[in-house]
Amino acid sequence: MKSLTLRNLHKTYFDPAVGTRVTAIQDVSLEIGPGEFVAVVGPAGCGKSTILNMVAGFLPATRGDIIVGDRPVKGPGRDRGVVFQNFALLPWKTVIDNVGFGLKMRGIAKPERDRIAMEFLELAGLSHAAERYPNELSGGMQQRAGVVRALANEPDVLLMDEPFASVDAQTRMTLQEELMRIWGERRHTVLFITHDVGEAVFLADRVVVLSKGHVLREIPITIPRPRG
Amino acid sequence: MSHSAAPIEMGQGPGAARHLRQAATFVAPLVVLFLCWPLLVSAFGVDARVFPGVKAVFAAAVESVSDGSLLAHVAASLGRVAAGTLLAVVVAVPLGVAMGVNAGVSAFLTPLFRFFSVLAGIAWIPIATLWFGYGFGAITFVIFNAVFFIVAYNTLLGVTAIPMRLRHAAASLGASRLAMVTEVLLPGALPNIVTGIRTGLGFAWRGLIAAEMIATNVGLGYMLFVARDFYRTEVIVLGMIVIGILWLLIDRLILAPLERATIERWGVVQRA
Ligand SMILES: Nc1ncnc2c1ncn2[C@@H]1O[C@H](COP(=O)(O)OP(=O)(O)O)[C@@H](O)[C@H]1O
Ligand SMILES: [Mg+2]
Repeated sequence: MKSLTLRNLHKTYFDPAVGTRVTAIQDVSLEIGPGEFVAVVGPAGCGKSTILNMVAGFLPATRGDIIVGDRPVKGPGRDRGVVFQNFALLPWKTVIDNVGFGLKMRGIAKPERDRIAMEFLELAGLSHAAERYPNELSGGMQQRAGVVRALANEPDVLLMDEPFASVDAQTRMTLQEELMRIWGERRHTVLFITHDVGEAVFLADRVVVLSKGHVLREIPITIPRPRG
Repeated sequence: MSHSAAPIEMGQGPGAARHLRQAATFVAPLVVLFLCWPLLVSAFGVDARVFPGVKAVFAAAVESVSDGSLLAHVAASLGRVAAGTLLAVVVAVPLGVAMGVNAGVSAFLTPLFRFFSVLAGIAWIPIATLWFGYGFGAITFVIFNAVFFIVAYNTLLGVTAIPMRLRHAAASLGASRLAMVTEVLLPGALPNIVTGIRTGLGFAWRGLIAAEMIATNVGLGYMLFVARDFYRTEVIVLGMIVIGILWLLIDRLILAPLERATIERWGVVQRA
């Protein structure tokens, strides 16, 4: 696992409604150690997704540095696995082909990537749904697939943008527990975005409170795991 | 790929019965029209040079089938449509994808493609004959244009409608630019592409018949046009029936099911 460093990050958007540039992220610095689980919390519109999208390489930073291990981020890459709020599974691919997609991009042959993808599907309790299409699955199952799709590609850092916000409360608790189980075994470096303080405290080693584009405070969570 | 039956799919039985019912609903009015035709012709004592009776058309059908002329016309027309369409799709789809990935380019070209889509085949005939003379070139050009602009426009539309998060997901999983095209943009745009082909082919078919009336010496359009010179109304009506039935067969048995299958399979619901 590698560390993730954000240094003096700024982001301004051009807002066509106002006709001026608006500041979304203001001087955010953050150091996430290898294998550390950091949650960023804050109300809607405070800039959480903007940070994650810059780290993922989907959005250029206006100013500042993003470094994974010792390499600066330039665009999207497989060193950073992303889990999306709305799953973002490819609807024309079966679950197993979605999970094996990163492996396919690396040129791994079909039998081998099916074998690996199947291991990850078992990890998520999804092996029975391997040949189904995403729109045939519940939201919870789709997000399980979304999580293991990112994991199967062996990223150094896992980026999750409110991954459990679009499933029901019951499923959310199960998914949080499953995530803890998997993370406990593999210890990825995780940047986890949520607006739910309870979720942040349950999951993270450290909670970063974001407000209007800047870091308000950082709170280490020392409650021993498993937490309940 | 083989799939176990998904629970949301309907069983074979009810599906087949439903299709049969739909087909019957579609064919019944045509049958009624066909039955009324001889009654009307005899009731009003219509002259054969104005409109033929059923027997005459049937005789013309038998004659043109047995001497092979009908088959020659049909083969010529279908061959031209296939060639022009294939050519148009092969050029339009890559172009549409290339344009779709660039927001500026797509914004600039969208109105142009819409404009040329409206010209839909027939309007190209005069300039086609000026540029290519009478023959294969002019006709292929008309079909090509009928299909090309609509398919390019639909491909463009399909690519721009793919949610950005799907492209992001693929990119963060390591997709190269080529893989982005083959794994995300093409499959994502496929329902639109198929719809474009279906619409474009409809215009191409009409444009073809019109073009064949002036620009060639074989084909269904030509068959109609020549028959007119000899007051062979039974051949004209036979040709019209063949033109209509051929298109309905192509559309209902090939294009519509293809369109439905891609839309269902590709799970457009996912895009909402
Ligand atoms: N593409 C954009 N163009 C202009 N403003 C944007 C854009 N994306 C986000 N913003 C603005 O930036 C701020 C932060 O947005 P976002 O990062 O999505 O917040 P969060 O994820 O915390 O809800 C909001 O005020 C939002 O309106
Ligand atoms: Mg957000």
